[in-house]
Amino acid sequence: MSFHNRIEGNEIIVFADTSLYSKDSIFKCLYWYGDKYHANVSFVDSNTYKISLKPMSDNLISAEQAEKLLQKLERDLLDFNLRDIVTKETKNIRDLLIAKAFSNGEFDELPPGELSDPVGFNVNEIKND
Amino acid sequence: MIDAKHERKTRKFKESDYYDLKKDGQYFLLPFRFHRITPEKEIIVNEVGDFLILPTGTCERIVKRQIDKKTDSELYGDLIANYFISEEIIPPLIDVLATRYRTKKLFLNHFTGLHIFVISLRCEHTCHYCQVSRVTQNRDKYDMPIDYIDKGIEIMFKSPNPHVTMEFQGGEALLAFDNIKHAVEKAESIAKEIGKGLTKVICTNLAIVTEEILEYCKEHEILISTSLDGPKFIHDSNRHKPHASSYELTIKGIELARKILGHDRVSALMTTTKLSLDYPVEIVDEYFNMGFQGIFLRNISPYGFALRTEKSRYDTEKFLTFYKKALDRILEYNFQGHYFTEDLARIFLIKMLSPFNVGFVDLQSPAGLINGVIVFNYDGGVYATDESRMLAEQKDFTFKLGTLDDSYNELFFGKKAQEIAEVWANESLAGCSECAFQPYCGADPVHNHATQGDMYGYRPNSDFCQKNMEIIRYLIELMESDKKIKNIFQGWARTVNH
Repeated sequence: MSFHNRIEGNEIIVFADTSLYSKDSIFKCLYWYGDKYHANVSFVDSNTYKISLKPMSDNLISAEQAEKLLQKLERDLLDFNLRDIVTKETKNIRDLLIAKAFSNGEFDELPPGELSDPVGFNVNEIKND
Repeated sequence: MIDAKHERKTRKFKESDYYDLKKDGQYFLLPFRFHRITPEKEIIVNEVGDFLILPTGTCERIVKRQIDKKTDSELYGDLIANYFISEEIIPPLIDVLATRYRTKKLFLNHFTGLHIFVISLRCEHTCHYCQVSRVTQNRDKYDMPIDYIDKGIEIMFKSPNPHVTMEFQGGEALLAFDNIKHAVEKAESIAKEIGKGLTKVICTNLAIVTEEILEYCKEHEILISTSLDGPKFIHDSNRHKPHASSYELTIKGIELARKILGHDRVSALMTTTKLSLDYPVEIVDEYFNMGFQGIFLRNISPYGFALRTEKSRYDTEKFLTFYKKALDRILEYNFQGHYFTEDLARIFLIKMLSPFNVGFVDLQSPAGLINGVIVFNYDGGVYATDESRMLAEQKDFTFKLGTLDDSYNELFFGKKAQEIAEVWANESLAGCSECAFQPYCGADPVHNHATQGDMYGYRPNSDFCQKNMEIIRYLIELMESDKKIKNIFQGWARTVNH
């Protein structure tokens, strides 16, 4: 069964595959529409989210605006899904980075590789005085 | 002749192949955020504020591992060098990045620095946007009593910060000059005794300043911060003084203060009102002609009396139009070879173009309230920021931390401080947590509360968010459009006070 994104009267309806879009990204995206639209998310079936936006009563939109809004919502869903992928994939490294930043150097490690001295500075003999 | 063996020995770097950690071009993502700045361009910003401007769609290619090490070698190199991707799961130079992160949060190192003493609420001006002042002779009711001044000083020196600033505000602070003298002398003697740095500032409209007062300021190295809203017709309209021109008194005061204290010991701040919005060029020209090195284009704060009058109400969109016109004028002066800055832009640019940060109350995360600034009100109330005490004048005590009779721990680490701390980091706020401009922006619980009714705030219709997002985006657009502007902005960012 396929679902097509569409405009129904004053309502924007968009579908998203649950295996491609995370729930977090959908809610983070819809957060930005909450001041002007009633936003709703539901399951059409176990693999598909149905996302709808309806202008608040005093905020009716033209057909042209509706088309633009549909386009914006589709693009924002993609953007927030990308953001969500980066956030989740980098969570551990971000935690590590911040832990290291606030540990005041006590967990710093020597950079990998050997310390060579091709120009003869004799770095090991430099005294820190 | 240099033999091949010797030549190789004196090389500082090994062949580039040596540094090639992954020949297959597989890479790992590092934390970054992105934002579309124009239909054609997007920006990616890493955890320490380094950014790259890229064609739209590049971020998606990065995430989908479509950046090829050979065919996109330049972009690939930029992404590695700027910590957007790594060839190892933990980048070899993570400690360098961690040090840079620590540098960006350096403002947290020393805790509260700025201590504002509202020395008197009395004033001889009747500015229509003023939040708090009273025209009265009642010293007993509206001046800070000596014992509160002493308690404020005692608390100030409990700050772990090795250098504290005491700033006298009003009303008109100079109406209580005797009390300022007491505070300065007491604080100076304690600072000397315990070896702490001490900066003193008087915020004044300069209307009643005298040579004698300024000689005292010179002797005690007190800085003067005054208000100048623009040319005479704007300043006098904004800052009404019965039977006199506030503008003429301010200009005369600035000239006298510069003569006695030195040019750089006097600064001025402006407030944008509805009237100001039509005169961006004239306001910038006024600051330039008065010999200032820059101007801070501040929008009016949504507190106290400011919102009560229709005269002060204008929307953010109008402020942004005003701001952009004023910034254009400022850039014209720079093109002519003058160093003249816009200070809000400078704060953002330091965050974007330098390794440092700026401790500015609502443009840092965690926010500067309590961490950077504290306010001792004339009546002994202790508030998180200057705006907080203005809310208190409307009987809103949300940001009252306690009184000068409370202990340091109760004030700075008490229940109220903990409640505010829940919402003072933009890293953990909805709408901010994945915003590309997060490292350049901040959190402002007081503004959220004043404008939206709760400290957490709601970003989709927040004027704070709208204003900062657009100004940052505009600064990037300007830098991208003209190399000369980028050079000017880099110059502004290099003058860091840290």
